[in-house]
Parts: sequence; C-alpha cells; structure tokens
Amino acid sequence: MRLLLLNLLRKPFRTLLTVFGVGVALFLFCFLETVLNAFLAGVNMSDASRLVVQHKESIIFELPMSYRALIEQIEGVSSVASASWFGALSQEPGPDGAKREEFFAQFATEVERYLALYPEIQTPPEQLRDLLSDQMGCMLGAQIAQRLNKKVGDRIALRSTIWAQKNGSSIWEFNVRSIYTSDSPTFDQTMMIFHQKRFDEARQFGQGSVGLYLLGIVDPERSSEISAAIDARFANSPFETRTMTEKAFNLQFVSMIGNFQLLLRSVGSAVVLTMLLVSANTMMMSARERTREMGVLKAIGFSDGHVFLLLIGEALAIALLGAVAGVGLAWLMANVLHYNPKPDFFPVFFLPGSSILAAVGLAALTGLASGILPATAGLRLKATEALRSV
Amino acid sequence: MSEPIIELRHVSKVYHKGSADIHPLDDLSLTIDRGDFVALMGPSGSGKTTLLNLLGGLDTPTAGEVLVCGQDLAGLSSRELARWRCDHVSYIFQAYNLLPVLTAYQNVELPLTLLPLSRRERREHVVQALEIVGLAERMYHRPDELSGGQEQRVAIARALACDPELLLADEPTGDLDAHSAQEIMALLIALNRDYGKTIIVVTHDPKVARAAHRELHLEKGVLARDVDLRHEPT
Repeated sequence: MRLLLLNLLRKPFRTLLTVFGVGVALFLFCFLETVLNAFLAGVNMSDASRLVVQHKESIIFELPMSYRALIEQIEGVSSVASASWFGALSQEPGPDGAKREEFFAQFATEVERYLALYPEIQTPPEQLRDLLSDQMGCMLGAQIAQRLNKKVGDRIALRSTIWAQKNGSSIWEFNVRSIYTSDSPTFDQTMMIFHQKRFDEARQFGQGSVGLYLLGIVDPERSSEISAAIDARFANSPFETRTMTEKAFNLQFVSMIGNFQLLLRSVGSAVVLTMLLVSANTMMMSARERTREMGVLKAIGFSDGHVFLLLIGEALAIALLGAVAGVGLAWLMANVLHYNPKPDFFPVFFLPGSSILAAVGLAALTGLASGILPATAGLRLKATEALRSV
Repeated sequence: MSEPIIELRHVSKVYHKGSADIHPLDDLSLTIDRGDFVALMGPSGSGKTTLLNLLGGLDTPTAGEVLVCGQDLAGLSSRELARWRCDHVSYIFQAYNLLPVLTAYQNVELPLTLLPLSRRERREHVVQALEIVGLAERMYHRPDELSGGQEQRVAIARALACDPELLLADEPTGDLDAHSAQEIMALLIALNRDYGKTIIVVTHDPKVARAAHRELHLEKGVLARDVDLRHEPT
C-alpha cells in the first residue's frame, strides 16, 4: 500500500495532471447527467397513480368543463382536477430596476382538487385557508418565490402570452397567498397555481373549457384499462380524448426536443472514453518506466499477483482520486451551492445519487480498464528479462 | 562432512532467438556445500547469470534438476517459487536496484512485508541488517542521497533482512570504485565467515574471486574449471 502511494508521488505533476484529466471528465459527465435529470424532472416526478386526459388531437385544443363529472363516474377513478396552461411571464423589476420578464409554469386549476392529487405539495394550513378564500390568490413554489423575491401577502403581475382579460389587458395580477415546498427532490418548486373559476370568468375567450384533466386512480395497475374506458366514453364526440399516464404525458415534452437523452449520453460516452485513453496512456508509460523495478520485486520474493495488484491499484487510485475531485465538485456545485445555469429552463437542477454512483462506478471501471494492460504485462513479465532492461 | 546446499544434475538451458538455438548451459552438474563462498567466473555469454537465475528460481532449466536448499525447484509453481525465494535466497545486483521512492529503511523492509511479522519485528530485522552493513545512521535517506558503495550496502542489508541461507550476487562490485569494492567484498567475506551464509558471486574481477573458497569457471555453458582456493597457495 505504501509502495503504491509512493509510486503515485514519484512524478507528482504527472499524477496530478492525470487526476485532473479524470476529474474534469467526470465533472462533465456529472454535469451532463444533471442536465439530463433536469430535462426529465417532469418525468421523474410523475406518479403511477395519476393519469392525464388531453384532447385526442393535441394539447393545444381544450376540453369541456362538463367532462369532469363524466370522468368521475368512470370506475377506478378516485379524483379529478382540471388544469389550464396559463403561459405567462413575470413583470417584476430586476436588481437594476428595469422590468424583468421571467418564464415559469403557471396553471389555472381547482386548487383543492389539485392539491388532493399532489400530496408532494406542502404548505402551511393557514396559507392554504387564505388561498382558498381569495379568488385573486395564487400559490407559488418556494424556489420561484425566492427568485422573484415574493412572500406571502405580496402581489404579483404576470403577462400572459395566450390569455387576455375581458378588458383587453394581458396583464393579470394575483395575491400571493401561499408558498409551497416539497420533500421530494424531483418535485418542481417553480410552479404557480391559481383558481380556475377566476381565470374562467376573467378571460376573453374559452369559457367553459379546460386544458386537460388530471386524475387519481385507485389501482395503478389498471391504468391502461381506465385510460381505455375514458377514451371510449368520449369517442365520436366533438371532443375526443387521449388518456395516458402522467409519465407518458411528461415524456411527450421531452421527446419534442428530439432524442436529447441519446445526444447527452453520446457526449458523456465520448468524454469517458477520452478519460480512459488518457489514464491508460499514463499507466502504461509509468509501468514501462519501472520494468526493472518489477523484476527486482519478483527477485526479492514478490509474486506475479503482487505486481499485478500494485499496478492495477495505482490505476484505480488515480481514477478514484479523479472521481473524488470531479464528482465532488459537481456535487458541491449542484447539491450544496445549488448552482443552476438556467433556473427558468431547469426548475429542478441537482445531481441525483444514482448519477454519483454511476460516475464513481465509471471511475472504477476506467481505473480497471486503464490498469489492466500494464498490470497484465507486469504479471507476465519474467524477472530475468525485467532485470536486463535499462 | 559438508552438507550440499545446491545440487545441479545434468542441467541444460536453451533459448530460442529467431531460428537459432542458444545454449547458455549445457549438461552442467555440480554441487555447492552449505557455508561455501563460490566465485563464478567466465567470459561474457558463458552462462554465469543464467546459472545464477536458475539457482534463484527466477528461471527454469530446459533439462535436468536444480535442487537448492533441499528443494527441487521444478516442482514449484510461480507463486510457490516467489515464496520460496523470499524464505531461502536473496539477490545482490550489480546496479543495486534499490527502489528510488523508498528510504534505505523502507527498501530493506520491503521483502519483510511478505512475511507474517509485526511492525516491531520488522523494525528489529531492518535495524539489525542495516547495522551489519554499517548504515544504521543513514536509514532514512533515499537512494539518491547515498553513494554507490552505500547503496550497495543497503542492497546487501535488503538481501540479509529475511535471513536467507543463500546469497546470490551478480557482479556486486562491478559499478563501484576500488575502495568501495573492497568494502563490499570485506562485508561479503564477513557474512560468509561470521554468519555462515552461502555466497555465490558472479565476477570478472580476479581480486574478488580470490576472496572466495572456490572458483568455478564456465565456458560456453560447461564447467571448464573447478578450483578449490582453500588449498591453493596464496
């Protein structure tokens, strides 16, 4: 063990550069994983016991409000809430005093029903009571409230890019009555919800319709059967439906930007392969320089296995030191300092534990793969030949 | 009557180099007694180093039997050979071959790490070995902080640390100046005389050979001359 550590310090600058190279590669890998996780946040927060009903043709077409009662009658459905996409930009002054328009998700919904469907949302009871009693009220996620510097009791103005009010204005004002948090790290805390009734009464067009229905079902294993029953119920009507799991619904949006997962994973693979080549090159160079020493070790009683373990151990140590540096930095930035390069685009931005494990596993694999060639050469090396080498 | 520590019976070694066969050792038979000090001489390519490697179990013969310390080396796996070397044989090289990242103490301790010894026991062995070679005061120096003669003395201490029966030295004074060479030879003589170590020294230097009890001359892989120097007039 001591010899292994001392060998790493034999050429400290070279070891440092290799560790740095592995560290940078693993940092990039973790960063890409974090971005991918952010893209899939909606998918990851999906619950198998929730379904989404949208217009059969496209999400841009609305469904009648009257469908809610009809959906509730379908066997296996436990609760239903409607939701309409508001699509607005904040109108708050930035630090420089100029108006800053920021995008985040807002839904008009039946608040009580919606919250029953999403137990992940946590808010103090008194704030919920105030929200339910104020038709002009809204609930903000803790992260967006912090970003917009809003607290309970403040007013917030939004400019909708879709909906104008009956008076012609597209600026809508709300009272911040509640701020929600969530224990689930994948749950989006940058949303806003407000009352469907107020929205429906105030909007210029589209009265009596909603964007989609969110439903809770009793048995997640019956989701296909219940989805088919809902769609059959509205077949051949002017507003045919397409029902799917919440996960499938959210995946639609991810697939709209192409196979992003494949792209990111390809870049990640290229990064890891480069790291492997750099590390393997260093290990081979380092082992070749010490051929004679390996012969000496064998001559004084060390077995072939000892030499193999020494060389593979050095490669593993370099890769794992790189992992500590690269993964550690990524974890620090994303999970401790909460760095988010695009908060309005990535409502959830953190490095998941599974990605940390994957990165450490990759580092270990890289260490093994880069060390296996020199270690096998060391294993097979004959002491007599090694002692003759210069 | 002396007990043999080494017995070679019709030992041959053949290397294949391209289409040519090289015979560094050809049907060699000899016996070396425990406690002997043998000088192995001969021109380059006569098979001296090959013989040393066979005796240390670093190489295997193409034909014949090699018995060292009562063990037929042909019957041992590479793992068993490694362990056997650790217990019975030590090498002293011309180029010292100390590990440059380790101090003198750590270099001497290295073969001891293979034995089931406590840290304290290892320390006792290391200090004793370094005291025998007269370098106890320089135990925390690295090889690049020692002279050539001192490096070779550390290498001898490393060879002594496991208390082997047999010391195999391949031109141990070849890289040293005359004074240091004399010191090393004096040390080897003392190890043979005072500690009863069997020593086989490969050398080209007749002065080194004169320190031995017996001189073996190899030529083209066969034993050309076997001289008992104890009965030679000095």
